Amino acid sequence: MTASTPISLALALDVYLPVGIVVAMAILFAVFNLIATKLLGPSRSGQTKGITYESGMNPVGTARKRFNVRFYILAMTFLVFDVEIIFLYPWAVGYSQLTPRSPEATLFLGRIMFFLAASVVAYLYAWRKGVFRWE
Amino acid sequence: MTDVVAKLQTLVPEVTLLVGAVLAALLGLSRRKQVRDAVPWVTIATLLAAMVAVPFFNQLDGTTAAGLLMPMLGGTFKLGILAVAVLLCLLTVGLVDRRLEQAFATGRAPFDAMRTIRGEFYAFFLLSITGLSLVCSARDLVWLFLALELTSLPTYIMVALSRGSRRAQEAAVKYFFLGAMASAVFLYGFALLYGATGTLVLTDMRGTFALQASTGGVSNLAVIGMILTVLGLCFKIAAAPMHFYAADVYEGAAAPVTAFLAFVPKAAGMLALMLLLGTMGWSGHSMIVDSIGFRQPIEGLPQPVVTVLWMIATLTMTLGNVGALLQRSVKRMLAYSSIAHSGYMLIGIIAGPTTGLAAVLFYLFAYGIMNTAAFAVLAGLERRGEEIESLDDLAGLRQRHPGMSVVMALAAGSLMGLPPLLGFWGKLYLFIAGVQAGHVPLVVIAAVNSAIAAWYYLRLVGLPILSRPSPQSETIGNGLSVWPRVAGVLGAVGVIVLPLLLRPMFDTAALAVSGYAKADSPTAPAGTLAAKALASESLASEALASEQESAD
Repeated sequence: MTASTPISLALALDVYLPVGIVVAMAILFAVFNLIATKLLGPSRSGQTKGITYESGMNPVGTARKRFNVRFYILAMTFLVFDVEIIFLYPWAVGYSQLTPRSPEATLFLGRIMFFLAASVVAYLYAWRKGVFRWE
Repeated sequence: MTDVVAKLQTLVPEVTLLVGAVLAALLGLSRRKQVRDAVPWVTIATLLAAMVAVPFFNQLDGTTAAGLLMPMLGGTFKLGILAVAVLLCLLTVGLVDRRLEQAFATGRAPFDAMRTIRGEFYAFFLLSITGLSLVCSARDLVWLFLALELTSLPTYIMVALSRGSRRAQEAAVKYFFLGAMASAVFLYGFALLYGATGTLVLTDMRGTFALQASTGGVSNLAVIGMILTVLGLCFKIAAAPMHFYAADVYEGAAAPVTAFLAFVPKAAGMLALMLLLGTMGWSGHSMIVDSIGFRQPIEGLPQPVVTVLWMIATLTMTLGNVGALLQRSVKRMLAYSSIAHSGYMLIGIIAGPTTGLAAVLFYLFAYGIMNTAAFAVLAGLERRGEEIESLDDLAGLRQRHPGMSVVMALAAGSLMGLPPLLGFWGKLYLFIAGVQAGHVPLVVIAAVNSAIAAWYYLRLVGLPILSRPSPQSETIGNGLSVWPRVAGVLGAVGVIVLPLLLRPMFDTAALAVSGYAKADSPTAPAGTLAAKALASESLASEALASEQESAD
């Protein structure tokens, strides 16, 4: 409990002044960019300009192609582990700085174990559901 | 560290439910039919295990350490929640995957894990109960919001899973979008409450509001925030002006899920209302130390909030009962009755601690039992695999299904408030609390409403027992599974027998909210932020405050 003095004058608007300035700046920035590109930018058009990837691959066929639903399910499963790895990195960096065997370290370990267990359950569920079967 | 351990200990019942949910989801995908059929029983075993864990792990020391606004709420009311949940779970036995399981059994289709949804259904069932149970022990606004969402999100899916019909899908989509909107409304309210107090912790908010009340009134921002929060929560409890979804959604879902919807989100909403209004406190329950050292009671809920609650309560009762009068479908009728019951419970919420809130808790439990019994009749009987729905189906039920007709009569009698039954005592308790708190006009409105309600409840009592069988009711047979009917009989027995335990149940309900009232009594320890803030206001207790500081 760091805030030991309650804010009693929360309606005083000057508290929100910085927020207001940032919002105004964001709006002005967007409007400024739109106007600036209109005024300054060269506007050319043509067939090459109009394709999906101007400097990339040439598009082939229609975009309304059907993909097998398995790709989507597999992508979801991939996401589970991808997100897990992303969380593991900062955890590992933080954990190495804690005193070994201290209560904090145990708690830290316990939390990530719970998280890992949760993703293992997700994996088990996907496996039993037959996501990885491709016949 | 000890703090974390204490907090984790209070969560043992929820962790049990969570583990049960994982088990249910995995076992539901088994190739063996016996294992898949065992999933409802795994769910019930989990609920019972959590019930056993509650008295051990929700002791007062543990929960006080976690700094709760109503420390006794979890240890007592969770038992009621879990007991009703067991009944609700019995109701769902044989509901999910019925056609699919028949196809597997007869060999018309090979087993396909991708198509079974039984495990998921019971996992969501348990997750929703976990959320409701977490609402009881909410410490701050973030926790409260997450717990409320954990209660609601599974229910949207359960509506869609409950039966394959298009109406269920439609109901689920309606329920989801309107629920998301309601969540946005009360989340905005939470944001304003945070802006007005500068804290998310409920006990600290209470201290800040007490301080604001003593120095020129609670800030307008907080009043607006509280009103938005109340309006958003009205969706969860199906109260006006957020009640419009109730009839359609309750009708679209299968009867067991409808019974679930009528109890679980409603209980979550009521508990959240109690906790949030508790931060502002009811009149006579907040104290301030004045300049000569006397503790003076200060006004509790600001007048606009009370006025809004009054309007909501009156509208909800009236619209619910009048709406129910017009229905031909039993499920729609019970949906409107569920709206009306929310209105009755709001009297207790307005009346405040200790009697009012205790009455709300008691009524929630009683409502859970009697409503589940009423829905058990709809879930236990069927016509060629379809649920029975209209009032004509119930006419003369006594001829072919004497047991179920008695269950329906008892449940409807109890919902109406017939004297020896459970519902009567709940209503009496609520009305007494309302009168004690000085809200006589509101109680009069509720009494008039109860009289209106008798009209349609008496049809539910009379039709099955007194009237002659209609052509529709001749074709009704027993459902596939016997357990929904067992749940109905259990509920009906509860409606008769539980009034014998009135005294202990009232005492438990009063105990559940007693911690709240005690927190502000003159003998309360001055260690809380609230007490510090109040103490620093007065000259006389300045010395005490500095003592406290040095002691810290």
